[in-house]
Amino acid sequence: RYICCWYYPCSAVNTPASRPLTRRSKSYGRSCVEAPSYFWQTPGHLTVLKVPTSRGAAKSQLITNKVDPEHIALLVKNEWKLSYVTPLHHFRHTQLKSYSRHLAAFIAAENQQGVAVEVGLEAGFKVTFTAVLGLAETDEDAETVFIQIQSKPAFAAAADAPKVVWRGWLTCVNGDPEYLRSLPSDFVSLPLFCTSGSESLTTLVKTWFERAFDCNFGSLALNSTTLNWLAALWTGCHPTCNIRHLKLAWSLPTQPPLDVSYTVNPQDAWELWNSIHPEESTDDKIDIKEVQSFINGLETHFFRHFKIYLSAGTLVKVSTALGSAHLDGKIKIGNSDYITTLLTLLTESALLKMPT
Amino acid sequence: MADLSNLAGLGSEPSGQIDSSVSSASNRSLRLAEKEKRKGEADPFGLAVKYLSQVEAGTVVRGNDELERNMVRVETVALSKGLPPEVITVLLDLALSLNAGTANCTRVLKFLIPATVVPQEAIVKGVSWLCVGKMPMNAQVLFVRWVLTVFDLIDCKDDLRSIYGFIFSFVTEENLCPFICHLLYLLTMREHGELMTKWFNFFGRQPFLTQLLALYKVFRPDLVTLSLPSRVRTGFKNHNSTWKVALSAVQRKNKGAVLVDQSLSLDVKEKPSSRKRKLHHLAIPPLTSAFDSNSSKKVLRLQELRSFKELLENIHNIELPAQMGSLLGSALALHYLDCVQDESAFLRLNFWLGHSLQEEFLLCPVDGSSDNTSEACRFLSTILFSQQFLQEGFSSTESFLYKFLSVWDGCLLRPQILDLLSDIPLMPSFYMHKLLFEPLKQLYFTSTVFFKCSVIECLNSMLVKWLTWHSVSASEGGLDISLNSNSSMTMTLSGFMDSVMELVRFVGLLASEGLRLESCHVLLLNQTLAFYETVCDMFLKFSLPLIIMPPAGVFYPALFATDSVSVDRLGYIMYRYRKNLTLAKKQEQQREQTFHISRNTYKEFNRNLQAMVNSMWNSWWCVPGSDIEIDKDLIALSKVAEPWCRFDLIHHPALFSYAIEFHQRTGKYWNWYMEFLFNQGFYGLNNFIQTNTGHGSTLNSQEDGQPKSQP
Repeated sequence: RYICCWYYPCSAVNTPASRPLTRRSKSYGRSCVEAPSYFWQTPGHLTVLKVPTSRGAAKSQLITNKVDPEHIALLVKNEWKLSYVTPLHHFRHTQLKSYSRHLAAFIAAENQQGVAVEVGLEAGFKVTFTAVLGLAETDEDAETVFIQIQSKPAFAAAADAPKVVWRGWLTCVNGDPEYLRSLPSDFVSLPLFCTSGSESLTTLVKTWFERAFDCNFGSLALNSTTLNWLAALWTGCHPTCNIRHLKLAWSLPTQPPLDVSYTVNPQDAWELWNSIHPEESTDDKIDIKEVQSFINGLETHFFRHFKIYLSAGTLVKVSTALGSAHLDGKIKIGNSDYITTLLTLLTESALLKMPT
Repeated sequence: MADLSNLAGLGSEPSGQIDSSVSSASNRSLRLAEKEKRKGEADPFGLAVKYLSQVEAGTVVRGNDELERNMVRVETVALSKGLPPEVITVLLDLALSLNAGTANCTRVLKFLIPATVVPQEAIVKGVSWLCVGKMPMNAQVLFVRWVLTVFDLIDCKDDLRSIYGFIFSFVTEENLCPFICHLLYLLTMREHGELMTKWFNFFGRQPFLTQLLALYKVFRPDLVTLSLPSRVRTGFKNHNSTWKVALSAVQRKNKGAVLVDQSLSLDVKEKPSSRKRKLHHLAIPPLTSAFDSNSSKKVLRLQELRSFKELLENIHNIELPAQMGSLLGSALALHYLDCVQDESAFLRLNFWLGHSLQEEFLLCPVDGSSDNTSEACRFLSTILFSQQFLQEGFSSTESFLYKFLSVWDGCLLRPQILDLLSDIPLMPSFYMHKLLFEPLKQLYFTSTVFFKCSVIECLNSMLVKWLTWHSVSASEGGLDISLNSNSSMTMTLSGFMDSVMELVRFVGLLASEGLRLESCHVLLLNQTLAFYETVCDMFLKFSLPLIIMPPAGVFYPALFATDSVSVDRLGYIMYRYRKNLTLAKKQEQQREQTFHISRNTYKEFNRNLQAMVNSMWNSWWCVPGSDIEIDKDLIALSKVAEPWCRFDLIHHPALFSYAIEFHQRTGKYWNWYMEFLFNQGFYGLNNFIQTNTGHGSTLNSQEDGQPKSQP
C-alpha cells in the first residue's frame, strides 16, 4: 500500500514587499490532505506517488543517436552507488561552469580547513560539470548533469595527465509528470544521483549541493519489487539482444545466513517469460502479476532441485549482460541501448523517497 | 564637558584655556566660560594639560621634573575621573608623536581613559602617526589595542571607515595583524567586501584572519570558500586587559555616560558542529548566503542582522539564506520566517524538514542509531519551539507524524511526539480516522495509564488550538475557513464542526474505555475532566455553536469518584454546560438563528443534571428510567443501610471526610455545612449547587427556563 498525494502548482512568488502583509493561516507549505488525494499507509514507508502496477516492455533504442556517445561511454563503465535528492532550488543548467569553479574551491577549502580559498583558482582539484543532453525522455524531465573530479597532485610532472578520482551524475528519466509539473519553476528535480569514487568526495559533493541548492540527499536502497521488474524486463530483451545469462542472488535468513547464487540459461529464462507474457501478445503492457509469476516460476524450479524455498529469503541482486542491480543501491549499466528502461525504474524509486 | 566637571564636583576643573588651544567646538554659555576662565589660573589640571600640549619634539625627557610633575597630575585625574574628549586628542597626539619620548608614549596610552567619548579625529590622527612608522612595535600594538578597547566610545566612525585601506595595509605587519584584523572586523561594511580579493596570498590559519574572512564571505559569498574546522575557536580575544579595571571604574563613577561593552568579541554565526556525524541530517544548518546571491543588490543577509529593530527596518530587502532550515536556528530568523510569503521558501523548508525526519525516524539509518536519542530530542524540541513560536505546524511535520504514528512504539521521545501531534492543524473528519484515530487507538489501549493520560492531554491541547484558530478566523470574517493559505480547499463551518465532533467523540470513547480498563484511575479521570472543561465551553468561549455532553462512561465515574477534586470539577463542568445551553437557547429564540442545538443534547444534559442533583442534593439515588437503574433486590443484597443517601453532599465518599470534620467542629445547621464545604475551595460545586438549587451563598437563582431539573 502506498500513499498517493498529488502536489499542486503554487501561486507566484510573493515577497513581503510585493504584497501587504497578511497573517498566513495554518500550515507552512502544502497541506498533505489536499483535495483529490487519498492517503494509504505503509508502516515506516512513505511515498508521494503511486507505484505503477504495469509498465511497457523494455525497448532497445539506439541511444547514441540522441546522446553524445562520449557521454554515454562515461555512464556505462562504472559501478554506481545510488542516492536520492530532493528538488534543487535555483539550479540552472546555464551555470555549470560557475558550479565547477565553486565546487573545486569548496573541496580545496574542506581539505585544508580554516584556510580560505579563492574561487576560480585551480588548487589540486579540477571539477567539470557537463550536461548530458538527450537522456531526458519527456518535456518535464530535466537534462542529466555529469560531474567529474580530477586530481592534480602537487608534485606531478607537467606531462602527467590529471587523474579522475570521482564521477557522479544527476538524472531524471520519465519522472512522474504530475509531480514534476507541480514543482514551482525555480526548482529542478533530478531525483537520482549516481556516484562512483571515494566516499569522502561523495560526502563533500553532497554537502556542496546541499548548501548551494538547499536540497538533501539520502541513500537509495532498491526494493525486491524493483529487482523483480528488472529481471523480467531484461529477460524479455533476449530475442533482440543476447543477455548471456540471468544471474540472481538470494539471501536466506538461516543460521548461518545462506547466500544462493542462481544462474539461469538465457534461453530458458526467456522461454519461461514468454510462456507468461507471450511476445506476440497485442497488449504491450506488462503487469506486476506477470512479473511475480515469472519469479515464482524460477523459485519453483529451484525448489524442485534443491528443496529450498527461495521465497523465504530476499532477492538481493539481479544481473544480465544488460546490467546489474543490487538491493543496497548499486547498479551497473551493461548495454547503453536499454539504459532508458533502467533509469526510468530508478527515477521512479528515487521519486518515491521524496519527503512530502 | 562642563556638565561632567560639575558632576565630578572636585577641584580640578578643566580650564577654558584648553579649549582655546585645542579649538574645540564646545558650546557652553558665556557665563560658564567666564567662570571657568577665572578659575582657570588656579586649575592645576588645566595647566598641566596646557603644558603637555605644548611639549615639542626634541624636549629633554630624562630628569625633566616639570614634565614629570604635569604628567603625574594628568595621570591622577585620568585614572580617577577619566579624560574629556579634547584632552584625549591632545594626549594621544603627544604620545604618538613621541615628543615626550618612547617611555612616556606607552605611559600615556595606558592612562588614556575616556570620561565620555573619544573624538574620531584623535584616532584618525593616531593612524596617521602609525603610518609615519617611527613608533616602536610595542607602542603600535598598544595603540591599536587601545582603539579596540574604546571602539564603542568613538563618537563617529565615518572617517575611520574612509581610511579603511590605510588600516588594512597594516595587516601584513606580523605583530599587528591580529589586532588590525579585529579592528577591520569592527569597521567592515558591505563595500569593503571587495578587498577580499587582495587577501589570498598571505595567510595561515590564525583564527583572527579566519574571522575577518568569514565576515567578508558574508558580503561576497561568490568570491571565497571557507570551511571552518569543527573545533576552531571563534571570535576575537579581548585586548582590553590594560584598561579594563580603570575604564569600568571611571564609567561606574560617571553613570549615565555611554557604557562600553566590555566583551568586544563578536560571535560569528558560523557555529561549528559539536560532533561530526556521518549522517548529519539532524543538524540545523548554519545561516549562510547562497554563493550566487546578488552581491551588488542592496540586500541584507540574515546573518548580518543583530537586533529586532534592524530586522524591522530592513524587512523588505532581506535575502533568504542558502538553506532554509537554518532559519530554525535563531529566534530573529523565526520572526522573519513569520512574514515570508515566498512559496518556494516554504517548500524548501518542508523538503529539508521532511527529509530530516524521514531519514531519522522512518528510514532509520543503520549507523549509531542507539546513542542519538538526545540529538533527536534536541532536534524535535527545536521544531516544537519554532512551531509554537509561529503558532502553527509545518506541513512536513504533519505528514511525518501520520506515517510515524503507525510505526511508533508509544515510547520513543513520547513528550516531543505528542507535543508535535497537538500542533496538527485541522483536517477534514474523513481523514481523521485513518490518519490519527486508528493508530492512536492501538497505542492507547496497549499502553500504560500514564501514556493514556498524555494522549488525552495531547488531544485536549489539539482541540484548544483548533478552537482558538476557529475563533480567530471567524472573527476575521467569513464562516468558510481557508485550511491553507495557498490551497483552493476551504472548510465550511459545518465541516469544521464535524471534525471537532469527531475529535470529541473519539476522546469520549478513549476516556470511557480507558477509565473502565484502569478502574477509574484518578489521574486519567482528571485529564479527562480537563478535556471536558474545554468541551463544555465551546460555545461561550470560542463561539462555536456546538455542545457535546460527556458519555456516561465519563460522567458517572466522575460523579461517584472518591476524590473531591474530580467531583468538584464535574460540578464546574455541569455549571458551564448549563451556562452554554442557556445562552444557546436564548439566542435561538431571539434571532431564529440557523443553528440549533439538538433536543437530544438538552435531554442528555437534563438527565445528567437530574442524576447529579438527585444523588447529591435530594438523596434519591436511582431514578427509574435513568442510566443507572439497579435492581432493588440487588442493592438489598449489599446490606448497605439507606443506600439512597450514600452519594449526597454528606455521605459522598469524596466529601465524607469534610462532613466529619464539620461535625467535629460541632456544626449542626445545613446552611453552615454548605458554607463550610464551599470554603474548602469547591468553587465548581458551589456554582453548581447555586445555579441548580438556589442554595449556597449570596447569589440566588434567577436563572431562566430551559435546562431545569425537576427535583
